[in-house]
Amino acid sequence: MNRSKPIAREISGSWFYKELFQQVPFNVAVIDHNYNIVEANDNFTDYFGRWKGRKCYKVYKNLDYPCLGCNARLTFEDGRPRVSDESGVDQHGKEAHYVLHTAPLREHRRGPVKYIIEMSRDVIETKNWQVEYQLLFERVPCYITVIDRNFKIIRANENFRNNFGDVMGRQCYEVYKRRKTKCPNCPAARTFKDGKIHHSDQVGVKKSGERAYYVLTTSPLGRDVDDVAHVIEISTDVTASKKLEKEALEAERLAAVGQTVAGLAHSIKNILMGLEGGMYIVGKGLKRNNKQILDQGWEMLERNFNKTTSLVKDFLSFAKGRLPDLKMVNPNDLVKEIVDLYHDVAEDVGVELIAEVDPNIKNVPLDAKGIHTCLTNLVSNAIDACRMSGKKTNRVCIMTEDKKGILTFTVLDSGAGMDSEIKSRVFTTFFTTKGGQGTGLGLLTTRKIVKEHGGKISAHSKKGQGASFKMAFPKKRLYALYNENNREESGE
Amino acid sequence: MKRKNILIVDDEPDVVVYLSEVLESSNIDIYSADNAEAGWKLAGEVHLDLICLDIMMPGESGLSMYTRLRRTPDLKDIPVIIISGVEQEQEFDFRKFVDDEKTPPPEYYFEKPINVDDFVAVVERLLSMKEKRKKKGHSS
Repeated sequence: MNRSKPIAREISGSWFYKELFQQVPFNVAVIDHNYNIVEANDNFTDYFGRWKGRKCYKVYKNLDYPCLGCNARLTFEDGRPRVSDESGVDQHGKEAHYVLHTAPLREHRRGPVKYIIEMSRDVIETKNWQVEYQLLFERVPCYITVIDRNFKIIRANENFRNNFGDVMGRQCYEVYKRRKTKCPNCPAARTFKDGKIHHSDQVGVKKSGERAYYVLTTSPLGRDVDDVAHVIEISTDVTASKKLEKEALEAERLAAVGQTVAGLAHSIKNILMGLEGGMYIVGKGLKRNNKQILDQGWEMLERNFNKTTSLVKDFLSFAKGRLPDLKMVNPNDLVKEIVDLYHDVAEDVGVELIAEVDPNIKNVPLDAKGIHTCLTNLVSNAIDACRMSGKKTNRVCIMTEDKKGILTFTVLDSGAGMDSEIKSRVFTTFFTTKGGQGTGLGLLTTRKIVKEHGGKISAHSKKGQGASFKMAFPKKRLYALYNENNREESGE
Repeated sequence: MKRKNILIVDDEPDVVVYLSEVLESSNIDIYSADNAEAGWKLAGEVHLDLICLDIMMPGESGLSMYTRLRRTPDLKDIPVIIISGVEQEQEFDFRKFVDDEKTPPPEYYFEKPINVDDFVAVVERLLSMKEKRKKKGHSS
């Protein structure tokens, strides 16, 4: 082996090659078969320090033996250039990261490899960025997955892996929801199709089997909107707040039970008063042997027995807790049914019953039977309020509207109206202003059904100026419930 | 003793019939109304010695009528018995409903169903108190 002759002298001594060797913006070193550095440029010296008479592994990595899987050795053997990521130490003993290219140097074109030229470049900055981005991706407190066009997960962050398990290469629907087929209304599929960002509420299953509620955003990855190759799915886990919501609902339910019991007692007391009155009058009739008084008392007893029956019936239908059975229906059809049903009843008491519906409303998921009950309650209340108002002409109007994603039913009347004290109590207990006619459960049941649909009911009224009851259903929630019900039905 | 006029305001006809029967006496005339507005009208027309008033009624509530009575100089001294299904211990807190300190609470509150003997006793007591007050007022 010829070690003595520095290679710079060998390359013809031309100033051009010497200058090229020095000025090329890389750290350049030439090594022989025995790992000796036989030549290096100034860049190399500036970066790794003293090299003359030292082995490459000592200079690059401060090792006392050749590196495992040494690329230079391989290039000596097969004459093929190689590239690798390497870590070593710079001349100050600091950690160094560099990309190393090795290439064979031959004296003759087909001759044996005499030296290896090693060109390296510091990548510590790039490395730092990589680490930073990796950290950011891994540790960000949400779930991130990247999927390809076949819905295969090609990247997933730490948080996601911790919660959903070993997911790489598996289909997203399988991992997120344990499904065997693509989810209906898949937001990622929409992003693949239109290249746009989509948001949605989702329910999945974690590796622990626990339900996960999350808000998902899907966004296209890549420059070309027309041809999205990958979609990034970022979701925030809202399971904890869902739990809180459920707990709050449960607390409200318990409070409602207390109120309900108090209300029930109130209704029963009214009936008892009637029964007692009946008994008192029957007693009086018997004592005086007066058939007229006796009949009056008996009628009173009968009336109050009937009231008990209807109270029990209403109470049972209220107490029956069930999930709304959502089916696609047109809200306007439900309104029409009610108008047909109550038109004559209203007319008999001088009330004009009309519908003002938005003809553009499309089908939405609703529990037709439940909404029918709500509208029946509201309309019969409205007719009663008109009847009690003392006015000669009255009007009850049922309206529908679909605005800003909210479906609204409004029942408007020109009846007696409510003062603020009554308004504050209408939805709470077995409150009734109808004396013997009502059980005070109608509005409570209505509120319950509306809440089960994820909606809200509100009352607006001024004494003597009629009233309006509005049931508002955010359609997003209706669809979420609808999807959840369908999932449960299909046993997922 | 002079004849007495009692007004019963309740939207429940059975209650009106029941209380009328209980109070039936040769010395008492019963007037009745099934809502506060009609009751208010009667109070303006008839010289009343006692009013039995329900709370929850369609339209104006019994408490609203009560407040109006107490604020009207000619009617403010008529004794009022409130008779309602609202439970006194847990739910009926007069000040909660009428937070105007100038409005005094009613003379008596009965929870439905009433105890007939107690009710009759209270009615008699309130009527005789009014009688005494009147006599005292005349003598002084």
